[in-house]
Amino acid sequence: MNAQKPEYLRPALIVGAVAGLLSGLPFFGLFNCICCLWIVGGAAMAAKLLSSKTPGILKPSDGAIVGALTGIVAALVSTVLTAALKPDVETARRVLDWLSSLGIEQPSNIDSLLERGSSFLSPGWLLLGLFVSAAVYALMGVLGGIIGVSLFARKAAPPAPPTASGPSDAA
Amino acid sequence: MSLAASSRSVRAVYLLTVAGTVLWLAAVFLAPWLAARGAPGAARFIYAVFSSVCHQIPDRCFVFQGHPLAVCGRCLGIYAGFAAGLVLYPLVRGFSRPALPPARIFLLLTLPMAVDAAVGILGVWVSPIGFRFATGLAWGTLLPFYLVTGISDLLSTRNKRAAARVLEKTTPKKVE
Repeated sequence: MNAQKPEYLRPALIVGAVAGLLSGLPFFGLFNCICCLWIVGGAAMAAKLLSSKTPGILKPSDGAIVGALTGIVAALVSTVLTAALKPDVETARRVLDWLSSLGIEQPSNIDSLLERGSSFLSPGWLLLGLFVSAAVYALMGVLGGIIGVSLFARKAAPPAPPTASGPSDAA
Repeated sequence: MSLAASSRSVRAVYLLTVAGTVLWLAAVFLAPWLAARGAPGAARFIYAVFSSVCHQIPDRCFVFQGHPLAVCGRCLGIYAGFAAGLVLYPLVRGFSRPALPPARIFLLLTLPMAVDAAVGILGVWVSPIGFRFATGLAWGTLLPFYLVTGISDLLSTRNKRAAARVLEKTTPKKVE
């Protein structure tokens, strides 16, 4: 067991922010379709970062904690970004009307699609989405953090640096 | 990697994970079932919950009762694989010696899904839904071996810390 608790928050904040940013961006967010790639991969990277900053050996529980925190940070950033990038439904409707006046045919279900898109971006849905994604991303983060520990963490503690009085200190 | 997790905490985490997996998988099928039974509001809520983890493109989802499942074929494969991994867990690992899988097994089971998904997103190849399901299934089978091991280690570590704190409080301090 490590004598000192590892510093979980810093790697979780750094990597969680990047993972949330990538999850909330158009196109890049698609990669989350591979079982929350940014979240699982991000949590694994957070575990790697934690391992490099921690002198002792990391345990799976350390990976789980840093992974869960990474997931929660990512969910927050991703939701804020989704709200900031939300498409303007009214403008989209005006553009479609204009295209229609030019004789360009619209898909039959365009109205329901627009309505569905706007309702999912209402404050209530965003808040619900935040809670759901925080829970799901935290769980995926736990998984990623544990995977990260198994892949990247040191398997043995580094040798202690030699001291002036020699190696007989421990004796 | 040796772990401090006790057999009791591994069992507890295992049973909770089994219960959670059953509920999660049931919810995947519940959404189309509710939609077919004329409860669009409840179905929509479940679809919305799963939209945070899956694209839900109808062409890439299996159909149940005339409606797409709440997740795509690949995600369903991962969840089904997770359930299969939970069935295998006591046989392969047992409850008394929790350990994380070796990295080479992780890479071996991750590679097919990663390649399939990457070439799909880049537009090189569109794989059939059955193939997506199969690669997801392979990867998902490995995941309980990480989750159960890691969470039981977390529980065990917390219990040990709590016990150490209690011991510290109850032990009389030496008077100099």
